[in-house]
Amino acid sequence: MPSSHSGDINFIAIWMFLIFVTVTLCITLWAARKTRSTNSFYTAGGNITGFQNGLAISGDFMSAASFLGISGLVFLSGFDGLIYSIGFLVGWPIILLLIAEPLRNLGKYGFSDVVSFRLNEKPVRILAAFGSLSTVVLYLIAQMVGAGKLIEILFGLPYITAEIIVGILMILYVTFGGMLATTWVQIIKAILLLFGATLIAFLVLNKFQFSFNQFFNMAVATHQNGIGIMAPGGLISDPVSAISLGLALMFGTAGLPHILMRFFTVSDAKQARRSVAFATGFIGYFYILTFIIGFGAIILVSNNPAYLSEGGIIRGNNNMAAIHLAHAVGGDVLLGFISAVAFATILAVVSGLTLAGASAISHDLYANVLNKGADDKSQMKISKYASVGLGIFAIILGIIFEKQNVAYMVGLAFAIAASTNFPILLLSIYWKKITTRGVLTGGSAGLITCILLVILGPIVWVEILNNKNAIFPYKYPALFSMSVTFIGIWFFSITDNSLQAKKERKLFNSQYMRSQIGKNITGILSK
Amino acid sequence: MSKQALLNKVVKTKQRIIRPLLFFTIAPYFTFIFVIAFYPQYFSNLILDSSVSTGIILGLLLIILIWVITLLYVYLTNKYVEPIIQEIDSA
Repeated sequence: MPSSHSGDINFIAIWMFLIFVTVTLCITLWAARKTRSTNSFYTAGGNITGFQNGLAISGDFMSAASFLGISGLVFLSGFDGLIYSIGFLVGWPIILLLIAEPLRNLGKYGFSDVVSFRLNEKPVRILAAFGSLSTVVLYLIAQMVGAGKLIEILFGLPYITAEIIVGILMILYVTFGGMLATTWVQIIKAILLLFGATLIAFLVLNKFQFSFNQFFNMAVATHQNGIGIMAPGGLISDPVSAISLGLALMFGTAGLPHILMRFFTVSDAKQARRSVAFATGFIGYFYILTFIIGFGAIILVSNNPAYLSEGGIIRGNNNMAAIHLAHAVGGDVLLGFISAVAFATILAVVSGLTLAGASAISHDLYANVLNKGADDKSQMKISKYASVGLGIFAIILGIIFEKQNVAYMVGLAFAIAASTNFPILLLSIYWKKITTRGVLTGGSAGLITCILLVILGPIVWVEILNNKNAIFPYKYPALFSMSVTFIGIWFFSITDNSLQAKKERKLFNSQYMRSQIGKNITGILSK
Repeated sequence: MSKQALLNKVVKTKQRIIRPLLFFTIAPYFTFIFVIAFYPQYFSNLILDSSVSTGIILGLLLIILIWVITLLYVYLTNKYVEPIIQEIDSA
């Protein structure tokens, strides 16, 4: 709450937020007039440029959780924060090299189009929709709970009011403006966030005449762990966790449905390629900024009584480090600006998630499974109902989970994305022998393994359910659940000798060529 | 060249670009993670007499490497793959 510094509400924050809402609602009105078909609803008409899409993708990735969470982690333990940043970033070359172009060339609205390209559409789409929806809902809960808490602190609004405001605005953006509005909200927010974070980092370094040596020396001298903040701490201690976390971070990104759907908003594979290159640039730059911000907070926040509560602990929690630092270097104006940007960030990210969820419901479950051959008008109607429904669902879940520790949910979302969505997408693009049976058995086995291992693991089983010992000893399940998926798909595909399987393998060559070139080349291939 | 031959050429060229770049993404990243898990003390070494550790320098270099890989991929694909696809279009 801005009141934590001056004793009254920070009106700058509120004004800036109101301006953001007004501008984005105007964009939504404009977008609503252009969004008349299902295609424009989910792909913005395919008219977004590579640069714009790069900004929007980086916006999806630079959530309030990653801005405040990673700078908070750096503030708390220094070097360990960098491990997460690098893990999140390294997923991008994987997407670029393996996924982005084939996805754009084969699909229409989402990755399920690619997986069901030559396989039995109905069951495969149901599995893909399940994978998408579980990832989206878990991510959504984490964002909604984080949002409510943050807005409570920054704007002094009651938790439930905050949930309802976020929910209603997100429903408005998505239902009326579809992908076009969601993309522009994300682009504006990405620019504001990059600008704000750059400004904080600049002001911090300015205090040290841009001498990194002096800057780091000061941080080491201030932090209670001293030189320990420059070295790996306790984040990863055993090799299994190391590989497991590494896998989830690296391959999870390539299975996030709200990220994957952005590749359909550009005109072709060439623009998809450019999008990733720009996105990687922005995201990497952003993580370097959060690193500077975290260290800056060690120096300027951790021993300034204005930001500490009675016991000498930082007000709010570690995630507030960046917010306090904004006040320390830029006063009420910068604090207000950053608060408004954090609010905007939450709105933009939950909108993207809702849109991805609506696509799984209306495009996969409704138009291709329940009511095959549904016309565009009814599909559009279902999309809007799904968006409103997901929005209300998100508000309710946000309220239910208020008192829960939901930090593990983002980890779980990444683990599911890495162990279900990513393997079925990767193998259906590149592996000739994959069959419907393999995808269904391997994919659902991986999904179930992943959820079970998280429930039986130390965070849920011990910390939340209060059992004494975890049945599954590791925090990160990805190594095991990914193995189950890959082995399951491999085994149940190669042993599949059905007629259907033979047909599916025969279609591989033309699918593969199309994934590489982006055109239907049936006329070109002679055999 | 026949269309079939051009198609094969696209696939071959792409593989030649993608494979080494994939290797230089995955290998350094997992080396980084493994050093943290097994030899954390190696990353605690300070550089010269500053407060900056090897771990931080290598971490930042990894971010730069990731940038270089994405830019290199876009550059190489536009230079070597796109012209073949254009040729397929006009053939």
